[in-house]
Amino acid sequence: MEKTRWFWVWVITSLFFRLVLIYFPENLNLGFRPEVATPLTSLRRLAEGYWLKQSSMSPYAGSMYHGSPMLLSILGPLTVKRIEGQPSHLMCSLLFVVADLVTAMLIRATGQTLQLAYSQSLRSLNLVSLLESSETLSAGDIAALVYLWNPLTIITCVGSSTSPIENLLIVLSLYGACLRIAPLAAFGWVLAMHLSLYPVILIIPVILLLGYGPDAPPRKLFLQKNSSENGNSPSCHGNYPCNEVTSQEKLPLHPFLWRPVMHFMLWASFWLFYVFVLCSISLKQHGGLLEMLKRTHGFILTMEDLSPNIGVLWYFFAEVFDFFRDFFLIVFHINILFMILPLAIRLKHRPCFLAFVYIAISSMLKSYPSVGDSALYLGILGLFINELAEMKFSFFLFCGYIGVSLLSPVMHNLWIWRGTGNANFYFATAIAYACLQLFSPDMDKWHGPALVCFCPPESVFQLLQGWSMGLNRRGNLL
Amino acid sequence: MANTLSLYRTVKRLGIPDDRIILMLADDMACNARNKYPAQVFNNENHRLNLYGDNVEVDYRGYEVTVENFLRVLTGRHETAVPRSKRLLSDEGSHILLYMTGHGGDEFLKFQDSEELQSHDLADAVKQMKQKRRFKELLIMVDTCQAATLFSQLHSPGVLAIGSSMKGENSYSHHLDSDVGVSVVDRFTFYTLAFFERLNMYNNASLSSLFNSYNPSLLMSTAYYRTDLYKRPLDKVPVTDFFGSVMETIHTDSAYRGFSVKGTDKAEIKAPLNLKASQAERRALSAYHQDQISDFNKEVCSFHCIWSTLHKTVVEKIEDADTFVNYGLVVIIPLVAASTWLWR
Repeated sequence: MEKTRWFWVWVITSLFFRLVLIYFPENLNLGFRPEVATPLTSLRRLAEGYWLKQSSMSPYAGSMYHGSPMLLSILGPLTVKRIEGQPSHLMCSLLFVVADLVTAMLIRATGQTLQLAYSQSLRSLNLVSLLESSETLSAGDIAALVYLWNPLTIITCVGSSTSPIENLLIVLSLYGACLRIAPLAAFGWVLAMHLSLYPVILIIPVILLLGYGPDAPPRKLFLQKNSSENGNSPSCHGNYPCNEVTSQEKLPLHPFLWRPVMHFMLWASFWLFYVFVLCSISLKQHGGLLEMLKRTHGFILTMEDLSPNIGVLWYFFAEVFDFFRDFFLIVFHINILFMILPLAIRLKHRPCFLAFVYIAISSMLKSYPSVGDSALYLGILGLFINELAEMKFSFFLFCGYIGVSLLSPVMHNLWIWRGTGNANFYFATAIAYACLQLFSPDMDKWHGPALVCFCPPESVFQLLQGWSMGLNRRGNLL
Repeated sequence: MANTLSLYRTVKRLGIPDDRIILMLADDMACNARNKYPAQVFNNENHRLNLYGDNVEVDYRGYEVTVENFLRVLTGRHETAVPRSKRLLSDEGSHILLYMTGHGGDEFLKFQDSEELQSHDLADAVKQMKQKRRFKELLIMVDTCQAATLFSQLHSPGVLAIGSSMKGENSYSHHLDSDVGVSVVDRFTFYTLAFFERLNMYNNASLSSLFNSYNPSLLMSTAYYRTDLYKRPLDKVPVTDFFGSVMETIHTDSAYRGFSVKGTDKAEIKAPLNLKASQAERRALSAYHQDQISDFNKEVCSFHCIWSTLHKTVVEKIEDADTFVNYGLVVIIPLVAASTWLWR
């Protein structure tokens, strides 16, 4: 009880803190920072798109707005409403605060489900004594608080960016998948994919979550347990038919259930159809669905806007020759795609963690990353705090994040406003940020009780990826 | 000179920018050796306003002010080296104000004490302008002795002319500035300026109220105007059509409100004519583009065929897209909630 009371105190304090920052005069100017507001998430661009829509022009005219028309209908009128004496975009900021709160609550609920599943699997492995002896923290509460109090999340919420809504939808789909509510998971996934293209890779962890259930130890462990129970039967090699002769103890083997997955597919197609119908009606006069796909997802894939951000793609594509541009676009996007399958094979018994790794990879390698994406995966990282308790290099990563957050605006200022630096200064911080993100999901070893999940192949592979990208760019660092 | 400069100032105040004004001044007063106030020109003995200030842009000054140049400006027949600021760049939609003041007489106006502009030359120039479609409406205002004779020969449609005095009458100056030693403003111009001092850009006083404001006893002459060539009724014509430049402005207090009003016909009520034409073009272009897309769809696989037919039948029938989309978005939330609750 004491813990829950403190939890709510912290939650309310974080909300209060955000409200204070929102009412702050606009000296913060966070909406202009490239780390916070990208061409996809900037609220100023959304306001411009809304004005164009109201003037009976296509909202994508002039290549300012590149988001969904549905977001335009929801957030557009809120950007225009001005209350006397209050800062502009007040209503939007309040909406983002609410979105953050709901996201945190959903993360907490997901954490509680995961913890429940974890304790169930430990119990079924007859490791109850271990459960009671070790101190496990309430992962859901901690993850929610980490999400709410992460400075990057606060900056995203206050800084006129639509990332809180995207984060909400991703967490909603994960929550729905953990609780095996197919319509909710489908809704979250479809809308998250519609708003920004990259959550499409989350279909794999969502399907795995619906099929297998929340994170559990590998099947091997259960099979070993079964075979040790059965002992002397010679025909038993730990296969599935062997389990039917087990005694009263039926160990949950988490077979893959296809029914929830089928339902998910149906609901996903329904929501997709719904979204497409609404968007095509909304853009009836301005080119319809193809125009929307070309300007939103096409914009993300073809990387048309090369303004600097905290990612690594803009610098490269500013130098590449037109002849090779398509080739390198394919290379960079396949870079995300080909990591999907090995990770899925390795981590299929831990779909939530798989989702976290996918989110981390996509937020590192996407075309227009921002700190909102890292806010999401740092929050979800909190869900695995019990398993990652002995993560190495945590202090190094923590200091790295602080260093990059402080140096990145400084280098940007040196480059753009003072003219004493150049693009390499800023890109250096972007590369440092990418390396940090590279290390954080991978250089961890799990030392949970009787669970060893050591992923050396993946981590070395990705290390090589990062260094090869660093070698690809030419030019001096400093 | 003070007459012209005062009217120049008034016209600029009412919104006409310098690149739309051609100012021809003999310009021999301001820096004259006998001017007690060098580089200053006043139109009132209280010396309240220096008309020869910083933002006076004179296009033709001194020896360039000739009858030949004046007629070249009107007809547009310049030599190739003449810069754009010295040309009258008007087209068939322009309203032109032509104000002339100086010494004049029966059917003529004096230029620089050495030349004369005759009324039939002026009429010919205006006829050429009309043939070359250099104006839609022209207002000629003349403040000289026997001014009405200067436009007696005009015969082009769309021309309105007013003069400060009729044939046989003199136009008089308003008052003498004893400090400077000359009369500083003429009566007709003085009362014209007095009329305009009461106005700002957004008043819609009509030309008839301007013309009726001239009191013959105060002017000591009869201000005569001819409207036989001008089709519009004078009480419907705002003075800012000629003396000012008022755009169709719509006040908004929010930076992102467009000019079309929601809920009514878009762009029908408030947008001016030429804007409507361009929007219609834009819509036509996008409709054409959409046809191209739907034709392309038919060639690809069956899903696209179904989608395009669905599109054509259902979607295009929906007239008010935005409220439909808003309803659709509002319906999503209870749908999700209901499906989640039922699933449990």
